[in-house]
Amino acid sequence: MADTTLRASAARHAGGVYWRSLVAQIRAITEYPADFWVMASAGVMWNVLQFAFLTVLFAAVPDVAGWRYHEMLMLSGLLTVAAGSTALLCDGVWSTGTYVLKGEIDYRITRPAPVVVQVATSHIGMQGFGEVGFGLVMVAYGWIGAGMGLAAVPVGVLGLACAIVIECALITALCAVNFWLKGNNSIFAFVLLDLQHNAMTMPLALFPAAVKIVTMFVVPVAFVNFVPVAVLTGHLTSWWLVGPPLTAAASVLLAAGLYRLGLRSYDSSGH
Amino acid sequence: MSNAFAVDRAFAVIAFKRRLAYKAQWLVALVLGGGAMLVSMAMWRELLSGGALSGYDWDAMRAYVIIGFITATMVFGAADWHIADRILDGHVAIDLTKPVDFQRARAAEYVGSMFSTVPTVALGVLGAWILFDPPGPASATAGVLTAVSLVLVFPLAFGLTYLTVLVCFWTKRYLGVMWLREALLAFFSGMMIPLAFMPSWLQAVAWALPFPHFTTTPSAIYLGHVDTAGALGLLAAEAAWAAGMWFGARIVFNHAVRKVTVHGG
Repeated sequence: MADTTLRASAARHAGGVYWRSLVAQIRAITEYPADFWVMASAGVMWNVLQFAFLTVLFAAVPDVAGWRYHEMLMLSGLLTVAAGSTALLCDGVWSTGTYVLKGEIDYRITRPAPVVVQVATSHIGMQGFGEVGFGLVMVAYGWIGAGMGLAAVPVGVLGLACAIVIECALITALCAVNFWLKGNNSIFAFVLLDLQHNAMTMPLALFPAAVKIVTMFVVPVAFVNFVPVAVLTGHLTSWWLVGPPLTAAASVLLAAGLYRLGLRSYDSSGH
Repeated sequence: MSNAFAVDRAFAVIAFKRRLAYKAQWLVALVLGGGAMLVSMAMWRELLSGGALSGYDWDAMRAYVIIGFITATMVFGAADWHIADRILDGHVAIDLTKPVDFQRARAAEYVGSMFSTVPTVALGVLGAWILFDPPGPASATAGVLTAVSLVLVFPLAFGLTYLTVLVCFWTKRYLGVMWLREALLAFFSGMMIPLAFMPSWLQAVAWALPFPHFTTTPSAIYLGHVDTAGALGLLAAEAAWAAGMWFGARIVFNHAVRKVTVHGG
């Protein structure tokens, strides 16, 4: 009983530190409005052009592997929201490699808050505001165009929440690799994000079975956007809805575990 | 090589060696570029299984996608950050005291860094050739003119990159500017989708910009979508853009350099 109370208290404390740090970053951003608008516009531009790409493509073809225009918009939109959310909620994890190299994890270890929370909130990617905003527009436009009603909204919200959690957790886990593979750049996380933007904006039916297996059960990025949208649009049965929450839980455990293991092997700089 | 180019060669070689020192970048570029190419191939194989669309059949599209991979790897793999960092951290102030032309030195470095993408391009093209067996050029002349077009991508890419990097004198940051440039380049060059699929007004917008010469021009020549006279016209336009951006950048730099600040001072 005492253990449970202590854990709940620690979780509340960590949550409080997380939000206070994030709010501090947002306050810092508001001091540089021009910078904010350049970055947010850049975040929007890629997605405007993805929107344009789909619009141009579907002027020539009726569907891609059975997926129609508005369904594909939802697919791209949900991935954009999830990826943009990582920039807003845990962009600092991209600096894990730099902090490890420079020994800047040291003083974070001495502070009374989880290290991963402190690192995650050490930065905000301002492009995330544009990505999340425009991603939601794409999802909403696709949703309406695909003729989906309000009854499916709870499923949509569940899919969105799980997508954000899975994406943040997977990026955190892959950035934690830099505890062992020393370097400023989080290459694995970068590769994941780039391949997601290429492959996961397309129906999985286009790819060989190996790709389907890997994206569903090895690096489960299919549960970020493909599975929720496929269930919503009737390409998969509703049984698949079990997948996103389970994947979200597993991804969070993986990220937390990897970060903890990384901290154990962390030996500061110059040793 | 004459003394006139000795400094350029030295800058290019240093930039080339600097890029080659980070061998993981080859692998990352191959995974990213190769991944994008495979996704694109999978999509077009499905869409073109019923026949040609907008003048592209599966044969033509295989060659088109591989040419897109080559130019994307050359352009996105070059060292644009190196130039931007010199402006952002104030090193440009020291560069201005050196007895070398700033733009020419950066051009040599940039071209040197573009050459460092050759191993990635070669490996990617070899893999694509084995997997997809694309058709050869429409004629021997088309093959030669395609090669000329790809060579012209070097100054063209530098001009575009350098002009956008100069924006750092005002913005003090580069990431957003780089993303904007790369997004526009990917779309209007035809890397994302051939320009022939776009409505005529959007094609007109694209052809009013330098971007189509990165992918559409070499692939149109390669596939024989234009005759020899048309190909020479496209090459002339590509060269004109490269020259125009080179001299335009000089004018912009002369204004921009008055804005130089070193670590906020």
